[in-house]
Amino acid sequence: MENRINLKDGLIKQNMVFMSGMLIAPVIACATTLMKSLAICFVFSFVSVAAILICRLIPRAIVYTIRVTLYTIIAAVCYIPASLLAGLIFGETVVRAAGVYLPILITNSLILSKTETRFYVEPVHHMVRDVFWFVIGFDAACAATGLFREFLASGRIAGAEVPILFTIPALETTFGGFLFVGIGAGLFRGVYNYRKAHAAAAEDEDSLAEYAEDVGEFLVGGHHSKGEREKIRIYKAAVKRAQNENDLLEMEFLSNRDVLAAFEAIVSEGQELGSESQTEDTADTDAEGSQPDESSGVEDAENTEGIT
Amino acid sequence: MDIFLSIVSAALASIFLQNLVLERALGANVLLYASRKKEHVVGFAVAITYTTTIASPFIWTLDRLLGDFEYYSVFMPLLYVLTVSVIYIVTLVLIWRFFPTLFKSLRKYVHLSVFNSSVIGALFLYSQQGNDLFAYIGYGFGTGIGFVLAAYLLYAAADRLNSSLVPAAFRGYPIMIVYVGILSLALYAFTGYSTSAV
Repeated sequence: MENRINLKDGLIKQNMVFMSGMLIAPVIACATTLMKSLAICFVFSFVSVAAILICRLIPRAIVYTIRVTLYTIIAAVCYIPASLLAGLIFGETVVRAAGVYLPILITNSLILSKTETRFYVEPVHHMVRDVFWFVIGFDAACAATGLFREFLASGRIAGAEVPILFTIPALETTFGGFLFVGIGAGLFRGVYNYRKAHAAAAEDEDSLAEYAEDVGEFLVGGHHSKGEREKIRIYKAAVKRAQNENDLLEMEFLSNRDVLAAFEAIVSEGQELGSESQTEDTADTDAEGSQPDESSGVEDAENTEGIT
Repeated sequence: MDIFLSIVSAALASIFLQNLVLERALGANVLLYASRKKEHVVGFAVAITYTTTIASPFIWTLDRLLGDFEYYSVFMPLLYVLTVSVIYIVTLVLIWRFFPTLFKSLRKYVHLSVFNSSVIGALFLYSQQGNDLFAYIGYGFGTGIGFVLAAYLLYAAADRLNSSLVPAAFRGYPIMIVYVGILSLALYAFTGYSTSAV
């Protein structure tokens, strides 16, 4: 079983550029060459990781409305060494060319929103892994955007000329960046949804195998009858219940005993949870079909990720 | 009269020629969030306009006093964030004291409308342009109005962009970004287009 909070969400499912749009301004307007993209990645990684780790020490007793100012101030302090190091590594010309897009990284959503809704409700060791994958996800997307835009717009990669039949100079502009990221996000989501649909089909088989192991029935392979599919749904409901009843932030895996206990409880309560589970599955599919990151929230104060 | 013209011309430039969202992509993700509800469009626009306008004289003073310092550019984010934080806290306290009902409705997202890349980015842009105090104020005001323009254009199209006519993978965020890109392309024309080359 996987953890309820998947610590690798930040890499693909909640990728900050292509899935949730939590931080797109520097990628759209500034990531026009590989070197500038790498400078953005460096400053973003340094500021985000340092600020998130330090801000964790701020007492939660302070109201969030005020606490958020401390987060931003700490991020601005972290920006000082990050900026100086970026100048040494990438050269002053690249840092100057990045303009306002490096300093604005201090107000990124990873620091201002994700900390409250996700990172600070996790144990520290999980938080570190979670932040790591979010940062890697952004860095990969930003670097790839810079690489492709430089190649397509000027026929160069990291300044070196590459033979290309035609160039699209408009990709260096802001509107070119919007279009590139928008189309990239659509394709990224398309691939994600396709893979997810296939994974779900495979998961049915896996669930069946696990079910068979847990309850002593062999149902794997071939066409499944209505009754067998019902059992699969009950099994999934049992897994969900077992996950909810255990503190999954503290444990990596559920034991078969946990699942079996929940399974027996569900069976003894009747099979209505089977249909409930089916409804939930349908709702999940609908939501994620349109906007995979909507699970991370939208409307209220606790759910305002994607804002920077 | 000169003061008035300075403010108006700076405001118009920041609405049409250097629109923060459409020309610079600053606050693009705030725009996506704000455009979901009409009250968010208004709330975010007021907060951004207020913060950038009030902060601009302070930023101008800081730039004049510390602009010659060698490492000023490295410390600018910290100084700007401190300025915005003071304005934010003082304003919140005043609203909480005199308009408690308004405070309750604002507290859900006010921090997001103040601490975001559009506000901080706008202040950096004023600084780079190195104008006089009134131009700073004009830019500050125009930034908020420019945000309203972009947010309203996106809000007006939000239903269609989220409809089932759009392929599932592009529905929502990707198509909205493409749409903003097309708006950006349209606004790009304001910066100057000569037909003599055609």
